[in-house]
Amino acid sequence: MTMTADASLARQPATAADDLVVSVRGLEKHFPIKEGALQRVVGQVRAVDGVSFDIRRGETVGLVGESGCGKTTLGRCVAALSDPTGGGIYFGLSAQHRDRLDALLAVPEARRGEAERRALAEIEAAHRIDRLQGNAWRNFRRNCQVVFQDSFASLNPRHLVKDIVGRPLEVYREASGTALTERVVELLEQVGLGRQHLYRYPHQFSGGQRQRISIARALALNPEFIVLDEPTSALDVSVQAQILNLLHDLQQQRNLAYLFITHNLSVVRHMADRIVVMYLGRVAEAGPTEAIFDRPEHPYTGALLAANPDLTDDLDGAMRTLEGSVPDPARPPQGCRFHTRCPVVTPACGWEVDDVVRWLADREAGFDRLSGVERKDAFEADLVFEDDAAVAKLSAALRSDAVPMAMREATEALEVRGRKLHVRFRRVSEVELTPRGPHHEAACVRSGPLPV
Amino acid sequence: MVDASLSRPPVRRAPVETAARVRLRRTLELTGRVLSDPTTVIGLVIIILMLAMALLAPVITTPNVPDPYQMPRDWGAVRMPPLTEGHLLGTTNNGGDVLYGVIWGARTSLYLSLLVVSITVVVGTIIGSIAGFLGGRFDNVLMRIVDVFLSIPELIFALAIAAVLGPSFANIVLALAVTFWVKYARIMRAQIIRVKQNDYVDAARVIGDSKLRIYFKDILPNSITPVMVQATMDMGHVVLVGATLAFIGLSEAGIAEWGVLVSEGQAGISSGRWWASTFPGLMVFLWALAFNLVGDGLRDALDPRTEGR
Repeated sequence: MTMTADASLARQPATAADDLVVSVRGLEKHFPIKEGALQRVVGQVRAVDGVSFDIRRGETVGLVGESGCGKTTLGRCVAALSDPTGGGIYFGLSAQHRDRLDALLAVPEARRGEAERRALAEIEAAHRIDRLQGNAWRNFRRNCQVVFQDSFASLNPRHLVKDIVGRPLEVYREASGTALTERVVELLEQVGLGRQHLYRYPHQFSGGQRQRISIARALALNPEFIVLDEPTSALDVSVQAQILNLLHDLQQQRNLAYLFITHNLSVVRHMADRIVVMYLGRVAEAGPTEAIFDRPEHPYTGALLAANPDLTDDLDGAMRTLEGSVPDPARPPQGCRFHTRCPVVTPACGWEVDDVVRWLADREAGFDRLSGVERKDAFEADLVFEDDAAVAKLSAALRSDAVPMAMREATEALEVRGRKLHVRFRRVSEVELTPRGPHHEAACVRSGPLPV
Repeated sequence: MVDASLSRPPVRRAPVETAARVRLRRTLELTGRVLSDPTTVIGLVIIILMLAMALLAPVITTPNVPDPYQMPRDWGAVRMPPLTEGHLLGTTNNGGDVLYGVIWGARTSLYLSLLVVSITVVVGTIIGSIAGFLGGRFDNVLMRIVDVFLSIPELIFALAIAAVLGPSFANIVLALAVTFWVKYARIMRAQIIRVKQNDYVDAARVIGDSKLRIYFKDILPNSITPVMVQATMDMGHVVLVGATLAFIGLSEAGIAEWGVLVSEGQAGISSGRWWASTFPGLMVFLWALAFNLVGDGLRDALDPRTEGR
């Protein structure tokens, strides 16, 4: 677990108005890959791999990324629907407690003294959601609700609207009988539905109306915080705007905090106060919405913006295309995880043996004569070929402009040893988030604005 | 609230709805859908006639004393053909009235199928639910047991059990129950694993409902349909397999049971006495057919892909 990233986060001085609803610290969710009859664990899919951010009271944090980047998994962890495999999610920390926690987490686990361990355990028992018990757990459950993407799948098809929206009130014994019905009507009216919808089944509604029912259910317990997992991506554009306005109004009325998960940048621009951009399980860039849109610091953010022509007109050129697909999260690239697709890649971005293998895989000739890769580590290996000619050919190709300039510059050794080609790249560690502006941070080896 | 009114349909002064009325309407709708298929209706009519026959058996026949499930013996009228006076469908080798056997046999079949199906549905549903809902080690152990049961052909397994326990009606019930629960466990487990991935289950977890309530409110009602369809089919299948076991002599001799009657009458077929086997055999056929027709109809009407949409 890398906790060093947290220490470098740029933060405001603590004030009471700065109280947090949810703080995510070094969150990891790895799914084991099992194989064979004995279900041996052969690897880990790192869906979320060390993510930290805060959500303040009444604030909307937009979580953006391509599909498969781990944003939904992260949302499920925050709502305690999945157990994280590392790190923690803290609920209801005051600003002072947050700073104390960060100071404690900044000390590596092995070097923590007795007093520090005890202080940490105290904070965790009171705030870390997988450690909460009894009333504290119920308090978290009441205050953290979810609106799911698929409005049909998230409503039980056999339940009437009254039962769906009234169920949270029933679970906490807040109301029953006519009082319950009246509370449900009130909630339905708040989301733009009404008494006439009480006794209907979910399939009798349109997608937008069903999403309103989901929102009414989420509001029933008067929560502080709602995870919105792509709440509008299954809706028509016009309905989308209505739902977004509804969510915005409810936030104003109730001082709600939202974690708004989406792949749609124009939606977050409308909704979010701050944006967290995720790529392959890690945060690529995080900062205030205007800063992210006006001065993106990470090429991935730039590429996402450029893919939405209506959002920006000065960020094309080098940033225009985002080619290729997201690499396998079971074996994320070294260095910067985006270096395999980055349009402004440098020699320091983490070139590795896998990049050579990937490059070879793209051209049929030569790759079938590769008989094995003897890895020393991710950056150094012997590529074994069946004949000498292929070794010489590849050796020449890796020195020519057939491969990216940055990759050639990152090559530290390239030697033909019989039928083996020895390659060694510059060793680079994972790129951490560094401050780029007020509350704005990015994980990129470059500094300064992106080339236009 | 900005543009909430945009999606609000015009308010109509509709009659006051209540949950009960809406649910009743939905039930009627479903019934209508089931009854819209003529083959289902044919099956239902046969079943209703069979049930009427079984229930009214003591009224339409003179029950044999002391045990009405034993065939009455009229030693003065042995091997009589159908339409003989007093013996509308003829008599057997031992002077048993075939009509009496057919009527009381319906009662025996009803007992057999209801007993076996209710036991297997309950056991299979519980075991399948535990495996599917809890998963992990429970799932592994339970499903390996199910695999062992499934690896033995149904009829041979039931036959072996009944043979070991000795010939009696109760042992046939037991043998069939032991063989038939496996299917329900499999169906239920698969259903639960599918249903519990739905977001509405997560939504119920998010509001803090308990696992048990989630199971009974969200998971069970949405996974039970295929079990009900299978149970309907098995009402017929159980009688078929039960009759097979009785035919090869694993039931009590002399009881009013269709399989036993077919068995007793088959020796006479080559001598032209077709009636003693044919009528009970026809009943087994009709019983199994009727429940299969209704089962198919239910499956089509309750198809989870169309239901509720």
